[in-house]
Amino acid sequence: MTRRGLWIGLSLAAVTAVLLFVLAKGFGRDPHEVPFQLRGKPAPDFTLKRLDTGAPVKLSDLRGKPIVINFWASWCGPCKMEHPVLAMSAKRFGQEFQFYGVVFEDTEENARAFAGSPDPSFPQLVDERSRMAVDYGVTGVPETYFIDAQGVLRDKVAAPIDPRTMMEKLAALKQPAGPVSEVVR
Amino acid sequence: MTAWVLGLVLAAYAPQQAGSALLDPPREARVQALGKQLRCPMCQGLSIADSNSSAARAQMDKVRELVAAGKTDQQIRDYFTSRYGEWALLEPPASGMNLLVWLLPLALLVGGGLAIARTMRRPAVVASVPASKPEDRPPADDPYLEAVRAELRR
Repeated sequence: MTRRGLWIGLSLAAVTAVLLFVLAKGFGRDPHEVPFQLRGKPAPDFTLKRLDTGAPVKLSDLRGKPIVINFWASWCGPCKMEHPVLAMSAKRFGQEFQFYGVVFEDTEENARAFAGSPDPSFPQLVDERSRMAVDYGVTGVPETYFIDAQGVLRDKVAAPIDPRTMMEKLAALKQPAGPVSEVVR
Repeated sequence: MTAWVLGLVLAAYAPQQAGSALLDPPREARVQALGKQLRCPMCQGLSIADSNSSAARAQMDKVRELVAAGKTDQQIRDYFTSRYGEWALLEPPASGMNLLVWLLPLALLVGGGLAIARTMRRPAVVASVPASKPEDRPPADDPYLEAVRAELRR
């Protein structure tokens, strides 16, 4: 092989290697999956009113017990499917964890009709104009966020949650956290 | 899976809220320009400025709120990337791994251009049969060559 041929071959091999690397990295993940950037960071604070009483609920006042926050809407079919899992978990583990629902892009009447029957198992909060949802990086409903006793966002489930996943996430929430990342503005 | 897809379809029927009040024209222009750069989380390849979804409207509200609060464009982009990652940007920044995606086509274009230029500068090869050396020629009394000639003469 001539020296020129060797150079051309090496250049083509280098370009192919770079292309393969880029493609492997790109194909290795779901392009529609939105990454969870807030993992390990302090949960953005919020003050929302309760759907039933209208009383304000402030996240920073809830420290000391892990929190499960579920974003839902009455127009969302999968939210209806997963609701029994949340209601049962709230009843069974309500002593160890605080469960809150956050109404996403819905009217209060519709949300009340949904959450009020058969029983309001856990408090529902109204997120007017979805400000808090955007702060948390919500991309749709249902989504469930897990905040530890120190107010650090530990995990999220961006799909209807099933009993097994709920148990796993609650167990993980009781484990000590790693170092907290920088504060989210 | 079916319920999940159905839920996404039903999302289109979520009660629509109007966007927040528009700012003054120069700042609203900034809001719209930033909205064009941010990806709608519920849509396929649409910006939040172009989408009618409720999530996009909520994000546009947030952009408007941040612009009204005096945040710079970069601070607003940072707000969204700190929550949704670089996925939130319709045009990812040319840094880190993304740099490869920006530079590789350019490198290929330059490399290809140089190769073409080099080929064109080279003197044209004259299409002629090189004169064979005397020692390459078959001897006049080659029996095989004679046989071929005899066949051709027939």
